[in-house]
Amino acid sequence: MEWIDQIGVAARAIFASGLVLSSLYVLIAAGLAIVWNTLGIFNFAHGAIMVIGAYVAWTISDPAALGWGMAAGVLIAVATAAVLGLVINRLLILPFLSQPNLVLITVMTTLSGAFFLENSALLIWGPRIKQLEKVVSGNVSIAGTAISGHEATIIVLAPLLMLGLWAFLRFTWVGSAVRAVAQNREFAELSGIRARAMYAVAFAISAGLAGFAGVMLGAIRFITPGLGSEPLIKAMIVVILGGLGSIPGTVVGAYLVGFGEAASTYFLGAYWTQAALFLVFIVILVIRPNGIMGRK
Amino acid sequence: MTRKSLIICVFFAILALLPVVSDDSYIRHVSIVALLYAIVVSGWNVSLGFGGVFNFAHLAFFAIAAYATGILTKTYGFPSWMGVPIGIIAAVIASLIVCLPVLRLKGIYVILVTFGFGQLCLQFVLNQRSLTGGNFGFVQIPPLRVFGYSFRSDQAMGYYYLALVGLILTVVLINWFRSSPFGWRVAALRENEDYAVSRGIALARVRLATFAFSAIFPGAAGAIYAQYVRAASPDMFGFSFLTIALSMLLLGGVATVWGPVVGALVFAILTEVMTPLGPGRYLVTAVLIVAILRFFPKGLAGIPDGLATWRARSRKIDPAKGHGPNV
Repeated sequence: MEWIDQIGVAARAIFASGLVLSSLYVLIAAGLAIVWNTLGIFNFAHGAIMVIGAYVAWTISDPAALGWGMAAGVLIAVATAAVLGLVINRLLILPFLSQPNLVLITVMTTLSGAFFLENSALLIWGPRIKQLEKVVSGNVSIAGTAISGHEATIIVLAPLLMLGLWAFLRFTWVGSAVRAVAQNREFAELSGIRARAMYAVAFAISAGLAGFAGVMLGAIRFITPGLGSEPLIKAMIVVILGGLGSIPGTVVGAYLVGFGEAASTYFLGAYWTQAALFLVFIVILVIRPNGIMGRK
Repeated sequence: MTRKSLIICVFFAILALLPVVSDDSYIRHVSIVALLYAIVVSGWNVSLGFGGVFNFAHLAFFAIAAYATGILTKTYGFPSWMGVPIGIIAAVIASLIVCLPVLRLKGIYVILVTFGFGQLCLQFVLNQRSLTGGNFGFVQIPPLRVFGYSFRSDQAMGYYYLALVGLILTVVLINWFRSSPFGWRVAALRENEDYAVSRGIALARVRLATFAFSAIFPGAAGAIYAQYVRAASPDMFGFSFLTIALSMLLLGGVATVWGPVVGALVFAILTEVMTPLGPGRYLVTAVLIVAILRFFPKGLAGIPDGLATWRARSRKIDPAKGHGPNV
């Protein structure tokens, strides 16, 4: 019964790498979805924020730079990313808020923001590739496949963070206020909620998540100024698949894309997987522009 | 002859005489690339500016034309004079393929699909290494040669005039487009889609025609570019080309005939001036785009209008004040 073994091997490999990918996509796509939900804009600088997060973590933690340890690196990277989100919100989004074609203008401004940040990273940290140390060392075995402790951390942390995010949006006053602004800005403002402050909260959370995802990614792949662009495109596919703005949909979408990518990489190879993903992406947009779980 | 057409004639005369004045190879190269950019950006202006359709696949049409020209003339031995026709046909076919899904979509979804299309093409190019050269790009494309005259001779003089003629044709075509019934339909769909459709404008047909028409320009420019630099690279699908073209369009002014032309030329000169800044010039570019969007949403093309209103206003105010300097 050799073929059963082969299926077993394939399934285990796909399961392990699919979990890692999905968890990363959850982190990245959730940030995109929060901003889309509250502000109704698509942040193309999201990937660049990840890049800055990864570089900051490297500067703080790497022995060749400051060498303050990984924990400090992660914290400061996330904080920097969140502040960066606030700056992007203030400079690239708020001035255009009253324009009728806000969505299209902010695509251009955030694209420029991404261009700015990526080239700043190139200027500050140079073209030499860097890599972060793993947040957790050692190996863990999942369903018979060994993965690094770092990857296991991502797998565990991603759902926990999503749970935390959900609880925050569901049970806290600020979380409710963010959702209120997302649902009906004018009515929320009438009830005394400061919409702009809630936009800032949404952007800070989104960027903080991006920074964290960047740190996690920077220990798996090499850090380059272009580190964020490929995951950002995947996260775009995830958000579209899940339905723009729906957080549960985004989580489902992330796991679908992650496992789909892992399976297709295993059977078709890495190159065709990318092409297949984009084809699926376009087909979904044409058939169901509102995504699998999106609302009208 | 009106003052406007005089300015236009002087403008093209200066461009036509430039090679006579200087045969510096660096200036020649920069001006050829600037002219080609002007053609590409003018074409983008048709779909994005006049049509109001946020087609982010426009630079992909340029890249597709470059690859198609390169592959067909080098690998399949088509004569080099067929480069431009090949580029145009390839770009128009690509634009029709992109336009089909776009017909049903609006707003951000149009951007995402067109953007996704560019990435799909990029992946295809990277995959088909034997056909496209993969990561390294498609190199050693045969240069343009007609009746034994190589367009590369005299510091690529031939390419310069080819690009210039291309630009003149572009301006003529787009000027025609703007005031043709076809152009009115396109503008009507931009201004109020529901009303335009209810008045009997066939959305699908007009939009397909808009895409096909706008793709002619990157098609031609892509073919000339490929034959001129003798290479097509996967970078052409990337963000930098897109951002540069976008800043040219915004700088010049959206939905005007001359905006993209002036924007492309000014921006190309600006980029060359900023070369000593290294990667810093990209930072300036990014800030420039946001600043234009924020403070001059009409771009350079808006300046004459802005000046006219300002002058009209100051004229009106002056007599009211009652005491000019000569009283």
